[in-house]
Amino acid sequence: MWAGLAGYVALAAGCAPQANHGAPMAIGVESQYANVLWQVGAPYVTVRAIETNPNTNPHAFEASPAVAREIARASLIVENGLGYDAWIKPLVAAAPKPDRRVLVVRRLLALPADTVNPHLWYDPRTMPAVARAAAAAFAAMDPAHAAYFAANARRFDASLAPWRAQIAAFRKRYAGTAVAVTEPVADLLLQAAGCRIRTPMALQLALMNGTDPAPQDVAAEQALLRDRSVKVFVYNQQVTDALTTSLLQLARAEHIPVVGVYETMPQPGYDYQRWMLAETQALRAAVAHGLSTATLGR
Amino acid sequence: MDSICTWGHMGGFWCNQPVRVALAVGGGAALVCAVVGLSTVMRRQAFAGHALADVSGAGGSASYLLGINPLFGFLGMAAAAAGVMEWAQVREARERDLLTGVVLGAGLGLAALLLYLDMTVRNVSGAAITVLFGSMFTIPPSIVPVALIVAAAALGASALIFRPLLVSTLSIDLARAQGARVRTIARIHAMALALAVSLAAMTVGAILSTALLIGPAAAALQVARRPASALALAVLIGLAATWGGIALAYQSYYWTPGRGWPVSFFIVMLIVCAYLLASAVARRRSGSSATAPLSGCQEH
Repeated sequence: MWAGLAGYVALAAGCAPQANHGAPMAIGVESQYANVLWQVGAPYVTVRAIETNPNTNPHAFEASPAVAREIARASLIVENGLGYDAWIKPLVAAAPKPDRRVLVVRRLLALPADTVNPHLWYDPRTMPAVARAAAAAFAAMDPAHAAYFAANARRFDASLAPWRAQIAAFRKRYAGTAVAVTEPVADLLLQAAGCRIRTPMALQLALMNGTDPAPQDVAAEQALLRDRSVKVFVYNQQVTDALTTSLLQLARAEHIPVVGVYETMPQPGYDYQRWMLAETQALRAAVAHGLSTATLGR
Repeated sequence: MDSICTWGHMGGFWCNQPVRVALAVGGGAALVCAVVGLSTVMRRQAFAGHALADVSGAGGSASYLLGINPLFGFLGMAAAAAGVMEWAQVREARERDLLTGVVLGAGLGLAALLLYLDMTVRNVSGAAITVLFGSMFTIPPSIVPVALIVAAAALGASALIFRPLLVSTLSIDLARAQGARVRTIARIHAMALALAVSLAAMTVGAILSTALLIGPAAAALQVARRPASALALAVLIGLAATWGGIALAYQSYYWTPGRGWPVSFFIVMLIVCAYLLASAVARRRSGSSATAPLSGCQEH
């Protein structure tokens, strides 16, 4: 996990001035938030990610002394909320820092606390808001570079234009496309693209939480694939179990194109913009040309 | 056959693929557990059976890391543990309990590590719930033939040793006098126990499998007066609890806001009810008759 992060930091360092040691530190609990923080704040902010693999059981997550040290130093912590990274709270509380800001993305987007799908970064509106909030937080920590951070946030927003165009083009042409999914990982993107998600939400949540699915919901999902009522099968390729594996086999047997989506940003070779664009292009390739994309290339 | 699919609520039940798989694997497990559980209870090896189940959980956890059929994982570890426990034959009951307890702890400890690795290395979600408490509705259909072959093997082995095992359970000396090879019979029984436990672990999970192994047999032994009727009653209770539990879990989808409760809960609760009912019948009967129940057999 740290090896992957080191690779990403090293890659980032190659095209930017070296961070100075007195720079404030910002933590993105998930690597996709860290990526946006880095795009807004570097080199005047040092950025770290903690979770690059969110499937590790939060209760099994053991904070190493290094993680605790970084949390203690951090002036800004961006967490997703909605229980996705609840384990961070006691760690933050254990290392108080008077001027620290904690940005909860769920609150930033003004979503209700009982929102069932925590994969907020798949919504095209999420990251521009995170970038703006990060720029404001960085400006408060380092007022001398306020204009720089604000310009970076605007540049980040503008850099999402190809992705937004891709979504709009898909929506115009393929709105109403029926899709089946496993977990609700990419649901917000699918909805933005105008897809109709036919998989029962109860099944998506059971698969996400690793609880017993109802046989009625399993049968409904199998029927979607067997009757070929969906144009594409979108599955979380990072996380599998016996049921998702058998659903994947069924989709392949029925010649339904499959798209593997990622819960965390694939690294190296991707930043947030390229990652989302690649997922959206994979969706289009599946719907328009029947092409499967199990994993994203470098 | 698919014409029953149109029988309203329960029509969907019979034609639901996860339900059909659960009925087949669960039925096989209940049948084998009732038969093997009967001799296990009579030989007072319930605790050993539970230990085997916990150890088999480590095998089930390992199956996700190795990418093999989980049934083979459960089976491999249960058979290995049964072999070790038979090999380290300890005569004194107190010492046997201690050894069993140590083996049980080792098995669960290993399972804790392997489940952690499943989640962190293999990114398998829900492995802990599936291995420890069972997820019958996620059993892949490809397991059905394998499970039925394992069930047939366990039943075959039990049938082969049924009479001599019964005699050696009642009196080792009598069995020896009749020319039975007591040690061989005990080993075959241990292997049948390993098969039964791994099937039970596949259905209600490693931790709850003791309920399926011991419960129906213990209930039957409270009321039956002869081995044959105890066997028939144990099979009946085991199958009724398992299939009834599957039906209740299916129905619970309509009582809850579309979530449904776990099958393992319903199966174990039905077994407990059967046991309580049998106890009540036995207590009422003991007032009027003095028949000694089978479960009171003397050890050695």
